[in-house]
Amino acid sequence: MADTENTKTRGEFAEIIYHLVRDPLGCTGFVIVTAFVFIALFADFIVPYDPIGLNIKDRLQGPSAAHLMGTDQLGRDTLSRVMMGSRVALQVALPTIGGAMFIGILLGMIAGFGSRTVDNAIVLFFDTIRSFPTVMFALAVVALVGPSLTTVIFVIMMTSIPTYGRVVRTQTLSLRNSEFILAERSLGASVARILGVHILPNVMGPLAVLAAMDIPTVIGLEAGLSFLGMGVKPPTPSWGSILNDGYSLIRNTPWIIVAGGIPLILTTLGFTFLGEALRDVVDPKLRGTK
Amino acid sequence: MLTFITKRIGLALAIAALSVTLLFIIIHLIPGDPARTMLGPKATPELIAEIQARMGLDKTLPHQILIFFGNMLQGDLGMDIFSNRPVATIVFEQLPHTLALIFSAIAWSATLGIFLGCFSAVRRNSLADRLTGILAVSFIAAPAFVIALYSLLLFAVELKWFPAIGAGTPGDIGDIIWHLVLPSFAIGLSWVGYIARLVRASMLEILGEGHVRTARAFGLPEKWITYRYALKLAILPTVTVIGVGMGFLLSAAVFAEIVFSRPGLGKLVIDSISTRNYPVVMGSVLVSTILFVASTTLSDIVNAILDPRIRQAK
Amino acid sequence: MTKVNFEWKSMSIPRREFLKTTTAAGALAASGVGFSSSASAAGGTLKTRTYADMRSLDPAFSQGVVDELIQAPIYSKLVQYKPGREWGWKKDAAAMVEQVDDTHIKFALRDDQGFNNGFGAMTAEDVKYSFERHTDEELGGTNGPDMGALDHVEVTGEREGTIVLKNAFQPLWSITLPYITGNIISKKAWEGAGGKISTTAITASGPYMHKSWVSKQKSTLVANPDWKGEKAAFDEIQIFHIDDEKSAEIAFEAGELDFTRVSLGSVERLRTDRPADSTLDEFPSLYYAWVGMNVDNEKLSNKKLRQAIQHAIDVPSIMEAAYFGAAKPSTGIIAPGLSGHREKSLVSPEQNLDKAMALLEESGAGGSNITLDILNKSANVTAAQVIQANLAQIGLNLEIRLHEGATFWSLGDETAGDQWKNVELILNRYSMTPDPYYATSWFTCDQVGGWNWERICSPEFDELHAAGQSEGDPVKRDAIYQRAQDIMEETGAYKFLTHEATPVIYRNSIAPGLRPDGLQLLRDYSPA
Repeated sequence: MADTENTKTRGEFAEIIYHLVRDPLGCTGFVIVTAFVFIALFADFIVPYDPIGLNIKDRLQGPSAAHLMGTDQLGRDTLSRVMMGSRVALQVALPTIGGAMFIGILLGMIAGFGSRTVDNAIVLFFDTIRSFPTVMFALAVVALVGPSLTTVIFVIMMTSIPTYGRVVRTQTLSLRNSEFILAERSLGASVARILGVHILPNVMGPLAVLAAMDIPTVIGLEAGLSFLGMGVKPPTPSWGSILNDGYSLIRNTPWIIVAGGIPLILTTLGFTFLGEALRDVVDPKLRGTK
Repeated sequence: MLTFITKRIGLALAIAALSVTLLFIIIHLIPGDPARTMLGPKATPELIAEIQARMGLDKTLPHQILIFFGNMLQGDLGMDIFSNRPVATIVFEQLPHTLALIFSAIAWSATLGIFLGCFSAVRRNSLADRLTGILAVSFIAAPAFVIALYSLLLFAVELKWFPAIGAGTPGDIGDIIWHLVLPSFAIGLSWVGYIARLVRASMLEILGEGHVRTARAFGLPEKWITYRYALKLAILPTVTVIGVGMGFLLSAAVFAEIVFSRPGLGKLVIDSISTRNYPVVMGSVLVSTILFVASTTLSDIVNAILDPRIRQAK
Repeated sequence: MTKVNFEWKSMSIPRREFLKTTTAAGALAASGVGFSSSASAAGGTLKTRTYADMRSLDPAFSQGVVDELIQAPIYSKLVQYKPGREWGWKKDAAAMVEQVDDTHIKFALRDDQGFNNGFGAMTAEDVKYSFERHTDEELGGTNGPDMGALDHVEVTGEREGTIVLKNAFQPLWSITLPYITGNIISKKAWEGAGGKISTTAITASGPYMHKSWVSKQKSTLVANPDWKGEKAAFDEIQIFHIDDEKSAEIAFEAGELDFTRVSLGSVERLRTDRPADSTLDEFPSLYYAWVGMNVDNEKLSNKKLRQAIQHAIDVPSIMEAAYFGAAKPSTGIIAPGLSGHREKSLVSPEQNLDKAMALLEESGAGGSNITLDILNKSANVTAAQVIQANLAQIGLNLEIRLHEGATFWSLGDETAGDQWKNVELILNRYSMTPDPYYATSWFTCDQVGGWNWERICSPEFDELHAAGQSEGDPVKRDAIYQRAQDIMEETGAYKFLTHEATPVIYRNSIAPGLRPDGLQLLRDYSPA
């Protein structure tokens, strides 16, 4: 299997997909994630009912042929709301991970390549962010600027930066003294060139794995914050706000909680499986130990 | 070694001070007035001004921060303006509930996780190992608050096997444990997965190392090697992970406390932020930050003592 | 819930003839705590619940319903609320209490009243101390406004005195004396403690005394052994502080509580499905919820737009969705049972789409984007979404803004910044005491930028509010407050929603003593 590193013929992407699909868990993950993305993108066209349309007469129904997952206190179809909720999950996950990764790469490289003082300052910054319990930090920020999706994205992004930054920093540190980098430098290559051409490609693999593994955390956190009323504004459905509705109606109907939780668990599972499989592909050393 | 420990503790103090200052600033930028929340629709402007003065809100922000740190060094976290009681008392009343929750979660999840990890490592690449692996990954992925909601729904509301709310009668150990079961289950579940994988991986590494092979060559029984030798070493990284995981556990505890209406630090913070009870917010966040920083520092130090490579790298 | 227009019974009788019956101590003892039914099997433990944590055991720093629930059984008052379906009061520590004229009330204390822990008999000096500290600005207590009309208390004998008011004050009998500010404490004990106490009790004058408090969990009261009146009905009362209604219901079903208020959402279910040995009872409540509109906001200064919104909101739908059909639409800010309650509102609770459309047309503000500020509670969020859908029907685009307590309650506050200018619609709910003066207090010109967030300033309204405070004739008083509510509605800035309701559930082994609005009077609880 060691030859995978050298096979460039089919292209790296195809290579990765090939390995993913061969791994049953990876395959499961891939299917779930694809379904999730599909539903999120095309929710408008495939929801059975208007997810924000009121129908108070039919409130709090259990599952039936008409409403597969029942209805909420305003008579809205829970299935439609759950499907629409996947869009919020995606809307939060992508910019959060993208932003955190970008800032993380930047800070990590600066820390890894910069002077000792800069490095220490950035590490201290990472540690400080990590030392806030996320939820409490989120509460404070939401109280400061008001609840909204942007706030949630900002909070989760801030708390995810160290995850990426630390990996990039470690990689940069270990590469900066490697022989080929030292050689390049002696030939007069600029720092930017070294970072961009040599270090960046080397950290992208681990970062991609990290991102896939981080998405479940991000989606879970978004749902958690929306559950506490810090995310989307009504009537927009998010899995967290659906769970919140369900929690306050737990004595009336169990179905809203059941319906709100399933996609959350499935998606986190899907991304985790996918991330695991992806790691095995990107980091073939580990594949044997699986 | 001593230098390392001193440096590490110094860093921990710096982190704690920095994060508390940051939070202090954030919280004081928040609009909203504790005096009005406290007095409700009865407040007269004089009363509001009076209470603001009592809380020191009429002073400048840097001044307030200085006062806060000054008092803190004397063990005084200020007074809760709502109940007129010392914040330290309030926080330390709630702290045991959260600690009990966190440590019970660590205890059961570590026990089960280590068992599953060993089980997998010994039966490496068998079907059982694969299944355990999938189970472990699934556990890791499960968001704690969804598990909390599901277990509340199933075991408390529908089946009524466990109590749904509260922390039990103070002093009645049995009752307290009874109330801990569900929340502890909810926040511990993902740790079973983490620990199982960690133990499995480190055991495999150790089992492949030279001295273990030597031990085998000497004909020591495989079971003895596995449980007396490898397991002992494999548990060490687990300790580290738990230390670092304190922050996650604290966050998960917030949800568990809300879902199960349990008293605790998380619920205290949420309640006091929403009422802008600044002294209580600061006090409880301070304590949880210290808790977190202390546990990561401790695990770093323990790690350094056990593994000299780390010490030299720093 | 039957809609009977209760009158404040004790007050409609000319006060001069009222309560002149000073008789033997034995008969008085019966009137003091005599309402605790025929408590046959006295003793045992009562486990009840309040919706928030205790904050103070000092009446001057008491914070509303929860603290009063705990203080009322500990401290005696001159008069107490009478449990039952109709508002009224009964004598407690007073052997005699009589309004001599608009501003003078004479009282005499019973001779069997005293404070435990060796603080001796209750004297007129204690009453003076207890009442006057509420208006003492230096002390900075939180309940001054309820005692606002007090000038001073004159001590005329060891157990006799006169309450002297600055001006005629009708709410004295419905709020000041039987509620928080009426609690009588021991001057000696308080002065010994430095003038105020927090959460540790130092003495009790009622049938119960405070034993312990576990923050956010429970307060425990036990029978006061020094109490000379009729023996306390329970040996111990445990008051659990559980903020979440659902959690309390689960605890009740698990046998952990004997009494709790339940959520409106559970009423339907509990009517048929509840523990076999329990009773569900529904009480009207005094709270009032409404949608307010800030007339000083640029968009909402358009009266036609406000009126269009008034007619577009469908209150019955809100009652169904947010209150699960367990609450009724209200006609104003004064609940049935209090004087000044209106039988009908000017704008019907039901949506009138044609009228709303017509008004919107006239306003020229069709298609506007409007915001609605709400406190983040599930009933509010649901109600807001109904309003959102209602307004969408006439083409108005509503954005719902959620707030936590602290930001919500300072929205309209001018001293807290300029955010009041951006307030457009507000879903609001104020608490209420059993006197109409309390409701109108918040909507005067003085309160603009304070608690009057609609910022309507009507001189006629202010005059009515002032007159209502001292009007002694119940019929005239009724008319005053009805007119005041008409004025509010005519401005277009209010759409009244509901007074909510207070459903409670209790075990048949106890007989709860409740105010007409379902609030607990722990002194009047007894084993059934």
